[in-house]
Amino acid sequence: MSTVFNWQLGREMDFPYEAAYPNQQFAFVFNLNRCIGCQSCTMACKSTWTFSKGQEAMWWNNVETKPYGGYPHHWDVKTLDLLEKANPGGQKWEGAPRDLKAPYGEFKGKTIFEAAKTNISPEGAQKALGYLPTDEEWAAPNRFEDNPAGAEKSQRGQLSFKEGETSPQHKTWFFYLARLCNHCSYPACLAACPRNAIYKRPEDGIVLVDQERCRGYRKCMEACPYKKTYYRGTTRTSEKCIGCFPRVEGRDPSSGGLPMQTRCMSACVGQIRLQGLVKINKEGTWKEDRYNPLYYLIHVAKVALPLYPQFGTEPNGYYIPPRWVPRAYLKQMFGPGVDAAIERYATPDRELLAVLQLFGKDQRICFRYEIKEGPKIFETEIRGKKFTMYDDTIIGYSQDGVKIIETKVEEPFHVRPDKHANSI
Amino acid sequence: MQLRYDDDFVEAAVFLCASGRRPGATALQVRHFYAQRERCYSVADPDKRNAEFFQVHFDWFREWGLEPLLRGLLADYPLLEGSLNILGFRQARAPSEEGAELYVDAGNGRNAMVALRMERLERDSALLHFLRREYLHLHDMVDPAFGYSPRLNLGELNPTQRRLVRDRYRLLWDITIDGRLAPSDPLAASSRAAHKAAFDRAFAFWIEVRQSRVFEFHWTNARPLHDELLSLAADPRDLSQAAAPMPGGSCPLCHFPTFEWAESSALSPGIVSLLLGDFPSWTPEQGACKRCLEIYEIGGKQSAPT
Repeated sequence: MSTVFNWQLGREMDFPYEAAYPNQQFAFVFNLNRCIGCQSCTMACKSTWTFSKGQEAMWWNNVETKPYGGYPHHWDVKTLDLLEKANPGGQKWEGAPRDLKAPYGEFKGKTIFEAAKTNISPEGAQKALGYLPTDEEWAAPNRFEDNPAGAEKSQRGQLSFKEGETSPQHKTWFFYLARLCNHCSYPACLAACPRNAIYKRPEDGIVLVDQERCRGYRKCMEACPYKKTYYRGTTRTSEKCIGCFPRVEGRDPSSGGLPMQTRCMSACVGQIRLQGLVKINKEGTWKEDRYNPLYYLIHVAKVALPLYPQFGTEPNGYYIPPRWVPRAYLKQMFGPGVDAAIERYATPDRELLAVLQLFGKDQRICFRYEIKEGPKIFETEIRGKKFTMYDDTIIGYSQDGVKIIETKVEEPFHVRPDKHANSI
Repeated sequence: MQLRYDDDFVEAAVFLCASGRRPGATALQVRHFYAQRERCYSVADPDKRNAEFFQVHFDWFREWGLEPLLRGLLADYPLLEGSLNILGFRQARAPSEEGAELYVDAGNGRNAMVALRMERLERDSALLHFLRREYLHLHDMVDPAFGYSPRLNLGELNPTQRRLVRDRYRLLWDITIDGRLAPSDPLAASSRAAHKAAFDRAFAFWIEVRQSRVFEFHWTNARPLHDELLSLAADPRDLSQAAAPMPGGSCPLCHFPTFEWAESSALSPGIVSLLLGDFPSWTPEQGACKRCLEIYEIGGKQSAPT
């Protein structure tokens, strides 16, 4: 085991390999407040990459209804349970948030790599604490769709939702969690592969399975805490999300040579997704890049949080937490930054409101944004906090500085000329 | 009888052994297993590659004792050897898929398929219990003394009643299976309480004394008969023998079970003649449910348009 620095945990941790970081890292932010569970992303991915024989149960991208849904079933609860058993009562965060090296304080518990050292599993020694899901757990990708938690029983035995939706935290709730491979900085799949068939690309940090080397040991499936690698019976190898790397490299014919967002990001109807490439320091933290939208959302506004950071893989998928969900659940899922993130998102400042307009506006990757200030158009109070809205214009630029997005905070209102039969 | 195994089943089974989830495989064996498997990846032709994979997996399936285990247990069910042409094994994805099925082809040849989830292979006790149960199911099906027939002669029952009868039959059969296995199989013996609870739910209309007596009879019955199980499942309250309307019996007109029989005084001569017009073999002593009576009462008040 080597010692590496995990900034999401605010501390060093054990990892089976020496630290090695890409120049740029594939990362994304999903705004869960906007996801409507339409599965457009799921089908965009499926129809692009996993439509062949042997890939029937492969959903590199999926959207599950939380808290009960999950693909494979209960993937997160099972791993959380393994960690709790390995370190009873010790999975805790402490300390105040500090700079780029500990934005959520410090995690005092055990990661899946650390817990594996003291855990004896039926599989024998593991590089990362994990389990192999059963066939049954892989069988239904959208189980418990739209099933809420906190339904009350009325006197007649019917489900009741009386006052279940009272803000700010609903008593009756669910939300859609869109997931794909997090292309982790410390991938558990990579750590566990006995064939060294999994590697992280130095140019963009995308994690890939070398199909020539893979021999289908399925150790990656066992180790990945997010359960985002899949076994293909027809080739007897493992496969996983490839981050649509030809698009990220700018090789898609429609990209004009510019890096493009993945198929799942581009197909998102609800415009909940923003994908990008972020610069990485030599020691693994993010290089300051103030006007990169991902850097802003994650390190400046701090509204987007990693999924289960306590697993210790330093996932590169970030989520703006759904504001109606009970905080205890969200803190387990996204760490201690939840309260602050929701507070900032619920009453966004001028810059955040502008940056949120970049989601889903163009298929090409936005590397830098610029805001042109506009007039004040609205003012109100949201739960005791003053909120002012300005009709600012936000401009997004591609890797080579070409303007790819120009949009305003207030949705444009178009009036058609009065010359058509259906003109208003 | 030939034993055949589905590719996926064998592969998943040997992986379970190689991963250590089924104990018994040594580290050296696991290394050999992967080394042999490694060679198959270099075969270019997909069909040949699959065949080679199967051969490697099957060799280890034998080596790690799974094939002998599945085959060895069959000695306790002698009728299967002579009655079945093929006994196949396949992987089940969910508990609802698990079980044994008998297939009879056009030439009256009999084949069977056992489906099981791979988790069953992790512990011998659970695996052996499952196999004994399914082998005994198959054994009953091919045993002339049991008298099994896939065609359940259920008369004029509606689909809901048929499902109910099938569920009751399945329960009764399972009780006799586990009852017969109980002396030699601790897991079967431990299932008694669960079976009793399910039996009490299925036959909740009986008094407790009768529930216990009938359950005990089936649990200890060494020679159950298909017809006996079926007749109990189909008509547990002997309603078919009832000379007069009984609560829960089927209305002779609509054939729906009913607890609301029409009073005999309500069957006026006018209604009776209308009923006899549509049901010539019906007699007023057989009775009619209130819903049927309602229809004929309304029908009697209507006249044809002039």
